[in-house]
Amino acid sequence: MTETLVPEAEHPSSRRWLGLSVLLVPLLIAGLVFWWGFNRSQPHQFSGSVIQGLSAAPDFTLSSDRGPVSLSDYAGRIVMIYFGYTFCPDVCPTTLADAAAAIDSLSDDDAEDVQLIFVTIDPARDTADRLGEYVRHFDDRFVGLTGTEEEIGSVATLYGIYYRAGEGSEATGYLMEHTATLLVIDQAGNLKIVIPFGVESDAIASDLEYMLR
Amino acid sequence: MVDITTVSPQPIQEPRLTQRGRRWFVGIAVLAALVVGSVFAFVTFQPIQVLPRVRLAPGFSLVDSEGRSLTSEDMRGRFALYTFSYSSCVTCDSIDQTMREVQEGLASAELRGFEVALVTISVDPAETPESMASYAESVGADPEVWAFATVNDQRFLADVVAGGFGTYFSLGDDGIITLDRSFVLVDGAGIIRNEYKYATQASDSERILRHLGVLAEEEANSHGPAGLAYEAAHLFLCYAP
Repeated sequence: MTETLVPEAEHPSSRRWLGLSVLLVPLLIAGLVFWWGFNRSQPHQFSGSVIQGLSAAPDFTLSSDRGPVSLSDYAGRIVMIYFGYTFCPDVCPTTLADAAAAIDSLSDDDAEDVQLIFVTIDPARDTADRLGEYVRHFDDRFVGLTGTEEEIGSVATLYGIYYRAGEGSEATGYLMEHTATLLVIDQAGNLKIVIPFGVESDAIASDLEYMLR
Repeated sequence: MVDITTVSPQPIQEPRLTQRGRRWFVGIAVLAALVVGSVFAFVTFQPIQVLPRVRLAPGFSLVDSEGRSLTSEDMRGRFALYTFSYSSCVTCDSIDQTMREVQEGLASAELRGFEVALVTISVDPAETPESMASYAESVGADPEVWAFATVNDQRFLADVVAGGFGTYFSLGDDGIITLDRSFVLVDGAGIIRNEYKYATQASDSERILRHLGVLAEEEANSHGPAGLAYEAAHLFLCYAP
């Protein structure tokens, strides 16, 4: 019988599968490459307002418990800046905890490229030592900065931060009213994202990951 | 005898595979052309126009013509148009005129319910709430819309006006103030969206009112998936003229 003598590899249905495989495998690879490229190139939805143009973040030098620190010391890294104070009962610790969790969720290499700077808007009470202890409670890598009233005022104004001493209680002392945005500066030193209060750590981490690509 | 040549379909199958491959190739090429064409059409015809996010507006705490505090946080969630002047200025008529035209145009502007605040910041360190109140009245300011404010701290004023709003002014030893004409439009998130410093064919007030409409449209429509289209408009610099 003819069928029994036809070699297996040359059976019409085997050849069809072989042909399909030759066509499908490259298509599958092309599809995966396309999907990967699409995922990388599609616009990322940031968790805050994105400043598209080149808006160089103003440099400054303030004091930490480990000596003077300038923004330019962190050139080439992503810098998150937050203006708050150590007596802050809720907004500041929440934001710092979210920022710490976001950085923790990155790979070790990526986390090395992100620095958080906490600038006090209450220099009368926040000494450099107190700030250092406070920020390292959230993350050992965080830096806490203080300066004179004038220095802090100038830096805060240029970073869109309003603050003023408000009411308080005997237990808390006076409280500070202040703008609670988390500002993200990219590796080129441009102010890139203005993240409002309330954005969770996952969303912050996603922004950082996108900027680190 | 086995006649293998009669059962091997190879000479017929090869052209079929090539044809199928060609169809795929054409399909992918058409898809790629559609994507490229869509991007090109989006950039060329700009179905969505936006205003650039220029930089952060400064944070401030000023005193208004009623002696109350006026802060950058009070402006959050509202569009704000800032200009710079002072009550004894004799060359600031055109600045006040532009602000008045914007104030009058707000009623008919397409703002989609968004609130707009006009703020004139006085750069005169000798300004008082009373002098600002007289100034506001003389230029026909509606106190519900148009505020006048200043601070008697020259260094802080310089940080806000020159450093933050990028507007040049100086106070000479003889007390003479030199000031650039400038209007700055800020969105509800505290980001500068446009600056008006140079004359164009369209008047400043006309452009400002049109741009307020563009901002309102973006604010109203850029949520959910449509947000991606607006981000694409920012990415491809589809800026309203």
